[in-house]
Order: sequence, then C-alpha cells, then structure tokens
Amino acid sequence: MLKLYNLFPLFNKPLFKILLSILFLLSAIPSFAQKRFTISGNVKDAATGEVLIGATIRIQELSQNGAASNSYGFYSLSAPAGDYTIQISYIGYESVSRKVSLHKDLVLDMALNPKSDLSEVVISANKPNNDNVRSAQMGVEKLNMTQINNVPVLLGERDILKTISLIPGVKSASEGNTGFYVRGGASDQNLILLDEATVYNASHLFGFFSTFNSDAIKDVSLYKGGMPAQYGGRLSSVLDIKMDEGNNKEYVMEGGIGLISSRLKIEGPIVQDKGSFMISARRTYIDAFLKLSSDTTVKGSQLYFYDLNAKANYHFDDKNAIYLSGYFGKDVLGLKSTFGTNWGNSTGTLRFNHLFNSKLFSNTSLIYSNYNYVIQSYLPGNNFTAVSQITDLDLKEDFQYYINSNHSLKFGIDALHHSLAPGSLTSDNNSSFNDETIQRRYGLETAAYISDEWQVNSKLNILYGARFSGILIFGPGTFSTYDANGNIVTSKTYNSGQVVKDYFYLEPRLSASYSLSDQTSVKASYNRNTQNIHILSNSSSSTPTDLYAMSSNNIKPEIADQVSTGYFRNFDENVFEFSTEVYYKWLQNQIDYKDGAQLILNQNVESQLVYGTGRAYGIEFYMKKKYGRFNGWLGYTLSRTERKFAAINDGNYFPATQDRTHDISAVGIYQLTKRWSFSGTFVYGTGNAVTYPNGKYAIGDMTTFYYSERNGEREPSNNRLDIGATLEGKPHKKYHSSWTFGIYNVYNHRNPYTITFRDSKTNPGTTEAVETSLFGRVPSVTWNFKF
Amino acid sequence: MQQIKFRYTIILAAIILIAATSCQKVINIKVNNAAPQLVIEGNLTDVLGPQFVSITKSVPFTSTNVFPTVSGAIVTITDSIGDVYNLTEGPAGIYATYPLKGLYGETYTLTVKTGGKIYTASSTMPYPVPLDSLTDKKQILSNNNLYTITVNYQDPPNIANQYRFILYVNSQQAGTIFTNDDSFTNGRYVREDLFETGSDIHLKDTATVEMQCIDENVYKYWFSLSQQQNNGPGGGITPSNPPSNFNNDALGYFSAHTTQTMSIIVH
Repeated sequence: MLKLYNLFPLFNKPLFKILLSILFLLSAIPSFAQKRFTISGNVKDAATGEVLIGATIRIQELSQNGAASNSYGFYSLSAPAGDYTIQISYIGYESVSRKVSLHKDLVLDMALNPKSDLSEVVISANKPNNDNVRSAQMGVEKLNMTQINNVPVLLGERDILKTISLIPGVKSASEGNTGFYVRGGASDQNLILLDEATVYNASHLFGFFSTFNSDAIKDVSLYKGGMPAQYGGRLSSVLDIKMDEGNNKEYVMEGGIGLISSRLKIEGPIVQDKGSFMISARRTYIDAFLKLSSDTTVKGSQLYFYDLNAKANYHFDDKNAIYLSGYFGKDVLGLKSTFGTNWGNSTGTLRFNHLFNSKLFSNTSLIYSNYNYVIQSYLPGNNFTAVSQITDLDLKEDFQYYINSNHSLKFGIDALHHSLAPGSLTSDNNSSFNDETIQRRYGLETAAYISDEWQVNSKLNILYGARFSGILIFGPGTFSTYDANGNIVTSKTYNSGQVVKDYFYLEPRLSASYSLSDQTSVKASYNRNTQNIHILSNSSSSTPTDLYAMSSNNIKPEIADQVSTGYFRNFDENVFEFSTEVYYKWLQNQIDYKDGAQLILNQNVESQLVYGTGRAYGIEFYMKKKYGRFNGWLGYTLSRTERKFAAINDGNYFPATQDRTHDISAVGIYQLTKRWSFSGTFVYGTGNAVTYPNGKYAIGDMTTFYYSERNGEREPSNNRLDIGATLEGKPHKKYHSSWTFGIYNVYNHRNPYTITFRDSKTNPGTTEAVETSLFGRVPSVTWNFKF
Repeated sequence: MQQIKFRYTIILAAIILIAATSCQKVINIKVNNAAPQLVIEGNLTDVLGPQFVSITKSVPFTSTNVFPTVSGAIVTITDSIGDVYNLTEGPAGIYATYPLKGLYGETYTLTVKTGGKIYTASSTMPYPVPLDSLTDKKQILSNNNLYTITVNYQDPPNIANQYRFILYVNSQQAGTIFTNDDSFTNGRYVREDLFETGSDIHLKDTATVEMQCIDENVYKYWFSLSQQQNNGPGGGITPSNPPSNFNNDALGYFSAHTTQTMSIIVH
C-alpha cells in the first residue's frame, strides 16, 4: 500500500541534509580542556517504583549545572572532576542530597519519598526551585496530579480536561460541549497524547467527562506556545499525558464508588523492582437510573461509557527497558429498539528505551491509534448502519544526547500513517437507504527534528531547533477539484501507493530566557506549526460524530506562527510563581463552510469548504502557589481571536466563536487538618461570540431571521463557583479510604448552553430569545479506597 | 438522513441527561438592526391556476411580526422559449398570473423590478414523482399517544431528485421544514417519517401532506433553512442566510415545482 521509495524525497531535500550536518557537528564538539565526567541515572518514587518525570537534579557547587529527568525518569549531568553535593527535588516529595566524588562516569539512581505531610512548613532542604524562571521553555504548564485530584468538578469526577481549562490561555467549551481552546485556536488544533498515542476524541458523553481516568495518569503537561521540536501535527497546543507505570514493589488495589460512575485500579510487580503492570477501569451507570423511569422508551434505553487503561513495563537491565500501554474506551447511547450510537478511541503503544552510554538515551515507539463511531437505526423501513473511523500507525525514534553542561540535544524522526474511512452506510433491501461508502483516504506524515538546549551563560538559556515536517497523500482513490459553485472541474483516479500530493514545511522552534536575577527572567519564543488532520463541522458545537479530513489536493495544511514574550518572577523564595505572557498567532489555511453545506456522507465534501486566515492575540497573567498548607492559582486572560474569509462576512475579520475577551479563573486548595482539605474554584468568562439576527421576515407563515454579521454579538457571560471537600479516612494498616464531597455551581447561576429564537407565546406577534442552560446546583459524593 | 442523525442523537441525549436540572428562560438581548431587506417568494406549480409571487420587506428583530408588503413592482415570468407572463398585483404585495401551469423540464425565470433594482431567479420544473401514500404510526419518543406521519414514495433511480414536504395538522401548517434528496435513497422505495415536535398529532386528527418535487437550488434553500431549525439543545448549524436563487441579495426563493396533496385521518 505505501511504497517506501516515496520517503526518499524527504531525505534528499537539502534542508534535511543541513540538519543532519549540524547534528554531527554538535556531537563532535570536543570536551573542554578539563576532563569532564557524567553523572546519570533514574529518579523514582521510593515507595512504588514509579519514575518521576521532570525531577530537578542540581549540583550545589555549580549553581548553573542542572538537569531534569526525562519522561522515563532518566537524567544526565556532566561536570569536571571533583567533589560535589547532588540535590534532587520533585514537587510533593522530600528532597534528597547526596555527596559524590566525581572521578569517572557515575551512575546514581535516586529514590524519593513522598512528602508525609503536604501542609508542612517549607524547610530549607525542601526549598522550591526556580526552574520556571530559568528554563527557556515558555508557554508550558505542568500539572500536579495531586492538585487535579483536589479540584472540585461536576458530579465528583476528577477531570484533567476540566482542570486545564482553569489555566490562563485555555478556555473550555461551554457545558455539554467537547473540546477546549488554547490561545484562540479551534478545538481540533490540540494534540492530545496518551503515552504518545493520539487521542482523537478526548471526551465522553458530549463533553461532560473526559476520557482520562486520573487514577491511571502520572503526569500531564500542556504546551500553549513554544512547542518543543519533538512535537508536531497540531497548531495550538500539545497535551502530553503519561500513564502510571504500576507499582513495582507491591500489589495495590484502589478505586472509588461515586454517584454515577465507579472506578478500579489494580497494579503490582511482574518481577519485583524490574517490571510492573497497571490496569485501571471506569464505568458509568447513569442508565441504571433510566430503568427507574415509568416511560417505557426511556426504560429500555442505554447510556453509559467505560474506559480501560492498561500498562506493563519490564527493565531488562540498566540500559534497556520495554513498555506496553493501551487505552480502550467507548460511549454507548441507545434508544430502545429504534436507534443506537456508539463511539470510542483505542490506542496501543509499544516502546523500547535503550541507553547507548551515559549521555545518549534513545526511545523507539510503535504506536497505534483508532477512533470510530457507529450510528444505527432499527426503524423498520429506515434501518441502516453508518460507520466512520480514522486509524493511525506511527513509528518514532527519539534521541536525547546530553552533550555537556551547556548543550543538551534532542533529535529524531517520525513516520505516521493515516487511514481515514470517512463513512460507510449499509442497509438491507427493505430500507429506504442505499449502501454507500465514501472512499478511504491514506496519507503519511513524516518529520525529522533537532533541537538544542544551550546554556549560553549563567543568565541566558536558549532553546533552538527546527522540525521539518511533511505529508504525502496516497491513492488509491479518486481526487477531484471543484469550482466556486461546488461542481466538479477535474477528476483523477490514482492507484494504490501513487502520490497524489505532497506538502513539506520547515517549522522553526525557538525560545530563550534571560535571567535578570535569581527570581526574575524575561523570555521570548517563536514557533511555527502545521496541521494535516482537520475536523469538518459546521455546527457551533463539536460532537462525537464530527468528520475528520486530511490535507489533500484541495485542503492545504493549516499553518500557525506564534510569537510570545513573557516576564517571570518568583516571590518568597520561589513559593509564589508569577508570570505574564503576551502572544500573537497568525493562522493560515483555516477552513469554513458554504451556506447550506452538506458534510455528511458526501464524497465531494471538499466542494463545500471555503478557506481563509486568522489571528489570535492576548495577554495572560498567572500567579501560582504550589507549596504550603494553602495552594492554588489565579489566572486572567485578555484576548481576541478572529477569522477572515473572502466568502464570509463580506471578507471582514469576525470573532471566532471561541473568542472570549475576559477569562478569570481562581483555584484554591486548603489543607485544614491532616484529614480534612477543602477546595474551591471560581470561573468567569465573557460569553462566546454568537450570531444573532439583525432582522426578521416571513417565509410563508414562518418567521425567518436575517443575519448580516457573523459572530457580531456576545452571549451572556458565564460564571460559576464550585466547592469541594475531602475527608481522609483514619489511618489503617491494611487499607486507606477517603470521602470526596462536592457542590458544582454553588450559587446556581444558569450559564448559557444555547440561545434560540422563537415567536413569543406570551406576547404574540413578537420574537423572543430563549436561553437554555444545563446545570444548576449539583451535589456529589464519592467514596475512594485503596488496598 | 441529516434529520435522523441530528434529531435522534441530540434529542435522546438532551432528554435523558439534561432533564434533571436544565432550564430555559427568556432573556433580553441587544442586537444591531440591519436595513430592511427585500424578500421575494415565487411559486410556480404544475397545477393549472394563478401562480403567485409575494414581495415583502424584513423588519428589525425587536419589532412586531408585521412585515411590510411591497407594492408597485413589475413582476414577470419568462420561459426558455421566450413566453412572457406578466403578473398583476392583487392584495398588497401579492402578484398573480392568469391561470397557467408549469411544464415539466422547462426552465422559468422570475424577474422583479422594484426600488430601482432588478432581481432575477431561475428554476427548472422537475418531472413529477408520485406520492404513493401516507401512513401513520405511534411516535417513538413519547408515551402520550402522539402519532407521526410517514410519506411513502418510489424514488426514480436514474435522475437526481429533491423533495419538500409540507405537513398540515387539522389544516394548521406544521412549522418544521421537511426536505429530502435522493443522495442516500436513490432508486429506493422511501418511507420517511415527518418527525414533528411543534404540533401534536392525536388519534382522529386529519393530517395533510403536500409533496413538492423541487430543483437543486430550491432544495439547497429549504435544506439550509431546515438546518437552522435544529438550533436547539445540542447546538446547531452556524446561523446564516439560506442561499437564495435570487441575485442582488434578495432574500427568499423562486420555486418551480410539482405538487400533490394527500390526507389521512389518523387511526
């Protein structure tokens, strides 16, 4: 199906050759006059064996010499021969100091103990670090799983996606909608990775819950800007989620029973200290309540979702390890014997780590990802089954080369094969519907990247690099071009493996930080991103049955260029972190739809599209406290995001639907006693941009609305206060339990879900606007246990 | 197809999940008012009789639903062989021809001259597809003994067909716009439910359905308008003006269509 020689054009491009040369040059940088040695190893949790991602390792005597552990817990530092004190720290854990005598390469594995008491006064050994100030990386937010688990959410379901929407620059879609928007980007511009596999639809049940069971999650990082070169494929953000490895010391079972869903996690060693596994499952039982209904249709209906996360790993020795992880989830909706729909993601990742030497770490990944949905109608005479799916197969090779204390190199290649089956409809002879299959589409996204983190001097840190990425679109298939009225102009049929179209782009990824003092810095960044998978939907909300399309002879890859600059300041010995970032994003090749576009099961869906540009800009303020009895954050974003299409709004800029002028979020978590903790969140946001009628007229007897401005008005603003409390059970030898209580929307403010217009019944002859809102005050209670 | 997909999924989710705490309320909104726009509705059927064109104007959103008529326009219909039919104004804003009927396969052009501008639209009268029968059945989503009307017809296989159905319950027109084309049903015997939430249909009610065969541009117009009607819970299509077959930004449509009406008493 795909011919490998088609990859060669990539390798022949002069640009790629230059990148390779730079790589060899840098690796040949000779060690400086003084003999340097490396200290490397893994950082783990002492109790469970879980690797700690992003732990800070510092040499006390050489203040600028520091490293962070990578996604597999591996770190590497180099220094001249001598005696040093190594300090390792990680939030939520007791810091460790180790004295070493460095006269040859040293392997130093560290195990950290979780902090026994989160509310403990900060002692000097556990002093928080100023990584956020010094690092050249901008626009990144690393979430603390403990904080995610303490933030109160709807119906007591801890939720990563709901928590990231509390970060400045990230807006969630309104209640009941899937998706989130980062710095003005659309919801299909976020790359959501679970153990490196793309998750296409990250929400269950129309956005009420996310597909991430936080029991199984170890680490979450969100990149809003300054995307590192190893990521590519989406314009606006990368949400990189890593699963727990599993306790490799003892067997543990934990879970929770809640009002509408329950979860269970089992983990333990395969071989003690060498390998472990983790299985975590979650299911809702909302449909149990349906069975209580007196209405026979509702009674016979199904409404549930489930998730299954599984992972296993084995470390052959100090240098080789293998990991296998998978996710499987499904939502099922069924209305008695008439209608049913289900959708779900499944992913699988096989990874192999190899340590060539104390400086060169390699990871090879083979990744599978699938998203599909099925719609079935059982109505006699109108029965059908419609299926749509997208399947990815990805091979990646990533290297991390810790050259010396000033340079740390990352480089790698990626080949991602997409297979899209946009839709197939089958029925029987008695049905009103014909069988219909929309042609499959195939493509190969290729990328090669290289980036260097260069510590120029004690003040200046530069992250520079590039990602060279492209896509090859293959046959078999018939590809057409269209005129402005949507009629076919040309049509050509390609055989299997024939290249229909290719696109290649160079994506520079640059950022730098300059320290004004130990606690203050300024940063700037520029990066370019391209995107080849697009969601086609002319609805104002996203649904699980949205259509995925790939770049083609008609659809050009979307391109975003983002510049940002920021000021970072820590207070009180790094206990408080403050930052402000200003960004500006240019968007090209954005997609919108002709009026009356027919997107469903349309072989010529590309005839319904129009193309344009966009821009997004804003300023974010962020104040965070991560340590101490009280912690939390306060964020404020002032922003604007606009689009411009020749075919829409007379070619003038109009606000994108997700444009939200003001966005405020406040989160607080307070540890009152050893057993009680309280949390609260408050959000306020300007309403979405919306198209209201600018006039009305009659068609027949029907009042019909006239629109002259796209998104010219705003929905009413939304705001909400949620509170929660957790009661830890009395300490017990064999098990641990806790209760989580919550109230969503404490003061019962009705936030708009949709606004529709109708002829007034109370005031005949006039038209009124009706606001529908979903959730009022909703209490919840969950019991959690751990064996 | 669209209707089934959107309606059932969304209504199902909406009813079950949201019933508990959701609510609706009327709110005051501020809108910018555009200048009055010209609205032309022209219909030419295959049944002998006067053919009507109505011309009105739009009003601001906050006004009452009294739409000013436009008098004194010069309205003509021409066909492809050069016949010209003049329309004369009867009641204000309503222009009628003398009795005539549209011919199958013929392309007609409606020209309206008013306010110093000329608006034209063309429509081709499709060949008729007969409405076989109307049947009724209990509504699936309700226990209150409400009924749904089904239209039954055979779609011709070798040509593209577009249809519009207008439902009347006890002589009252139902608000929902029903359209269908044959992109999924070409050549099949079609049984389509006219799923209507606005008007309740009970036992012994009289349901009347007018079936129109329409051309592609007129179908796009009604289809687009029906998509806007789905703007209930679950979100709808981004609001926009349905693509009119008139030029010069006139709202409305000119439709040359076949018509056939049938009634049943629900039993």
